[in-house]
Amino acid sequence: MWELLLLLTSTLIFPGLLFTISLALFTQYIVRKLAARFQSRMGPSYVGPFGVLQPFYDFWKLLRVKEVVKTRFSMVRAAEIFLILGIAFPIAALIFLPISPLKVNCEFDVLIFFYMASVMPLIAVTMASMAMPGPYTTMGVSRLLSMATLAEPAFFASIVIPVYLATRSGEALFMSLSGYVNVPTAWGSIPTAIIMILCFIAFIVSLQAKAMYQPFNIPEAEQEIIAGFETEFSGPLLALMRLLHDVDLAVSILLGVYVFFGGPLPFRHLSIGGILLLVLKYLVLVVIVTLVRSVMGRYRIDQALVQLFKYSLVPALVAVILTLLL
Amino acid sequence: MVTWQVSPYEAVTISAGVVALLLVVVTALYYSLKSRTTRISDVYLSGEPESVVSQLSVGVAALYWGFMKRFARVVFSTLTTRVHTGSLHDWYKFISSWFSLLLLISIVVFTVFLVIGD
Repeated sequence: MWELLLLLTSTLIFPGLLFTISLALFTQYIVRKLAARFQSRMGPSYVGPFGVLQPFYDFWKLLRVKEVVKTRFSMVRAAEIFLILGIAFPIAALIFLPISPLKVNCEFDVLIFFYMASVMPLIAVTMASMAMPGPYTTMGVSRLLSMATLAEPAFFASIVIPVYLATRSGEALFMSLSGYVNVPTAWGSIPTAIIMILCFIAFIVSLQAKAMYQPFNIPEAEQEIIAGFETEFSGPLLALMRLLHDVDLAVSILLGVYVFFGGPLPFRHLSIGGILLLVLKYLVLVVIVTLVRSVMGRYRIDQALVQLFKYSLVPALVAVILTLLL
Repeated sequence: MVTWQVSPYEAVTISAGVVALLLVVVTALYYSLKSRTTRISDVYLSGEPESVVSQLSVGVAALYWGFMKRFARVVFSTLTTRVHTGSLHDWYKFISSWFSLLLLISIVVFTVFLVIGD
């Protein structure tokens, strides 16, 4: 009974629905504020202290006030269901991360996590966009899927290899995210450290593409194809779409914190040092993503595919080959 | 902190249950909070009428050729310069060279199988 209550808490409060949505909106605030400072703008400033509640206010306004604009081809209900599914999957995947008070661990749980937190949101966005069709939407979705064919395998390899390196000694469950405690040993020797660096590069570049941040924001290229795959979204639908994007980004960054930086290590989760270090590592990754977003321009789709191939798939493939040679 | 060490099948079942619970909660929250106003409009085509597009979605063939021409340019140029040159002789040379290679591989594999097999 106690454990079921804990599972319910992990699902709905921490690190489930409430925490993840708060983290996602806070991440959006940090990204917007930092990007604004990089470009000599103010960024969100008025709602809440230092404008920290601006993303929540934007979300609330879209959800409560704005109207849904639909065409005779729109399937609003289908789009809503797909977007809600896309939000539910990455949040549910968090029960596999060591941050959860009730952890579910098994061999190869990283694969289940990947499907839930990376593949399902992509499918959800694609299906939801196609449920609200239009020429610009189709153009955006085709670009999104073209990029995903390169970004998803690279992201997968960049996550799976560090987990393999951390769990191959047999001290932890094989290919389980609970092996994060062995991440420092993966950075400890030169051959595995080189593999970790290659995976980290592939992770950052593919994450940039998954989040559709510059230089890979061609699927929603403003002023060229209006808003790409989200052109036909408005009001509550747009609120769900934005929330799905932010939840996906937050969960991916949290995964990166554990896979590459060992979560709260060298401290424990339930310690001041552990919590502070976890927050610090999360913020470092957010700053890297925002920095790349702020200093780069937008690639054309063919350029984006070539650069994705060069800087995410090739490092990931080299890392796979080096890991096989270990 | 409690850890459930389970089999992969149980892990999938548990995570599916968690997704179902979240689905119910998020759906209930969404439909109770969302605004009810809806407006029907034309498809947004930068001010153009719907008649400017014959199809609302890009054809599969168009997507395929877009991908081939833009990204897989090397494959595309190989196909156009070496295989689809228009000359039947080139096509026969290309196909027969691959066929010969396959034949050679099959002979090698067959020989190896005969030698090391029982």
